[in-house]
Amino acid sequence: MGLVVGLGGIAAVFVVRALTPVLGPWSLPNRVQDLLTLSISVIIESLPFVILGIVLSILVQVWVPDRWIMRILPRNAFLRRAMISFLGIFLPVCECGNVPLARGLIVKGFTVSESMTFLLAAPIVNPITILTTGQAFGFDSWIFAARLVGGFVIANVIGWLFSKHPDQDSLLTDRFAAECRLPDPHEHDQTRWQKSVELFTRESGVIMPALFIGSLIAGLVQVAVPRSLLLSLGSNPLWSILAMMALAFVISVCSNVDSFFILPFASTFMPGSIAVFLVFGPIIDIKMLALMRTTFRAKVLVQLTVIVGLLSALIGLVVNYFA
Amino acid sequence: MPRFSRWQGIVLCVAALVSTVWLAVTNQLILYIHPRYIVFTVIMTVLGLALVIASFGRSPDQEHEQEQEHEHEHEHEYEDAAPRSYRRAISVVGTVVTLVMATALVVVPPATLTTATADQRVINSTQVGSGTKTVDSAASAPAGAFARFTVLDWSSLLRQTTDASFYRDKAANVVGFITKDRDDPQNVFYVSRFVITCCAVDAQPVGVPVFLPNWQNRFAADHWVRVSGSFQTNPSTKSQQSIALVPTATTKVDQPSEPYLY
Repeated sequence: MGLVVGLGGIAAVFVVRALTPVLGPWSLPNRVQDLLTLSISVIIESLPFVILGIVLSILVQVWVPDRWIMRILPRNAFLRRAMISFLGIFLPVCECGNVPLARGLIVKGFTVSESMTFLLAAPIVNPITILTTGQAFGFDSWIFAARLVGGFVIANVIGWLFSKHPDQDSLLTDRFAAECRLPDPHEHDQTRWQKSVELFTRESGVIMPALFIGSLIAGLVQVAVPRSLLLSLGSNPLWSILAMMALAFVISVCSNVDSFFILPFASTFMPGSIAVFLVFGPIIDIKMLALMRTTFRAKVLVQLTVIVGLLSALIGLVVNYFA
Repeated sequence: MPRFSRWQGIVLCVAALVSTVWLAVTNQLILYIHPRYIVFTVIMTVLGLALVIASFGRSPDQEHEQEQEHEHEHEHEYEDAAPRSYRRAISVVGTVVTLVMATALVVVPPATLTTATADQRVINSTQVGSGTKTVDSAASAPAGAFARFTVLDWSSLLRQTTDASFYRDKAANVVGFITKDRDDPQNVFYVSRFVITCCAVDAQPVGVPVFLPNWQNRFAADHWVRVSGSFQTNPSTKSQQSIALVPTATTKVDQPSEPYLY
């Protein structure tokens, strides 16, 4: 019965989607039209990565035996987090897809700080991002080195700082902390396929509303903030860094391609500020904050934003000094 | 997790996934993302739809059992949390916003970005495109090649040189939408396009200034036009553009099937 109703619903949505353009163009004001186009663009661009992230999360939680991941990780906390930073090489998902995957890793037994290290490092320390950044700026450039080393260092510093928290579960939202305490999936009288579908339903119920709200806010800010304001700050060593941080926060573009997006700005902005865009953007932006809010408390996200912002700015200043 | 939240996620998935499939089938996905991502997007969309359909097949008994288990866990969690009324208000607002967005995704006809974004992002404010023309490559191009140069090619050349002699004997024939010149909106407009790297979010407007006195008598901002002519020293005394395309023919055209440049 549910299957029939569901398929009927999909067919109905498809018919509505196909019919409305036939009724003629809507004369929405330009700003409203662009707000919708920009917001929908963020949703459509992120959607495949979110699905991939949820699928990988399901694989990790349901299909990969517990020991596989835990056995290869060192016991020493520093080495363990360092190795976790490189997990993105094997799970090259964009930052929005990493949120469900990081949630899955916590459920699987990672500590919150370890999962955070993965979440922050994986969008930068992964083969696609490494390749596109190298293609855009050169594999021997300061910007390339600053991005990779910076991403790794920031993720590990954050992981180390939050590992000092005496009650790691209190960093999580109540809802997610409760989900982590649910009995092991295999204890249910369910097949793995049933459990996979159950996890998909649960994760999409958490991630999709956050994606929609994050996309709308990203669209709103893009329509409201004049780009000329940011571009006018490009040649100042400090203001250019803050401007690029603001641009990265607003634009919410995927880490796999942000190098090509920011490359044209290299002629007007200082190299340190470009490095800041490439380090700060994959970790903190409007869409990511909305997605991370599904898992971490607001206070944690504020702390995370401030620390990542300060460390990124420091990296930018160092690059501006030496490059 | 409450049953409503679970089904909200599935509803949002259906809205996004079905819209994506429809956009792909009608070749309109390029209004939102770069063509290089279409195959990956479609594959993941099909996989997502398969999981959504599988979720419809879950038996009511399974669902009921898990709802009870999850809700029991949550009862204790929310006791110490923020006031219930505040939490509920935030939840209602969030739900309304997401459903409005989902409805817009399904109902509003797809559209390109407009002059509002072109103005907001400032035309030609940055060099864009990885394969743009250089002065050297343009100088050695055969005569017939210039008619195929896009708005992006010409705008890139105009950034590199304003030497009027370079543009002599190089006839232009470009298509784009009209954006007003800020300094001389009466006589000069830009024939413009957006260049995208990943998706519409990163769209950068590029444009070629066109000197056509009183153009607003025949056209309006956002109209798509084809402009043929040659580049000359800009006759406008107000515009800051030293070189402009002086048209021999300007005609209104339909929006091209690929409105963005890459």
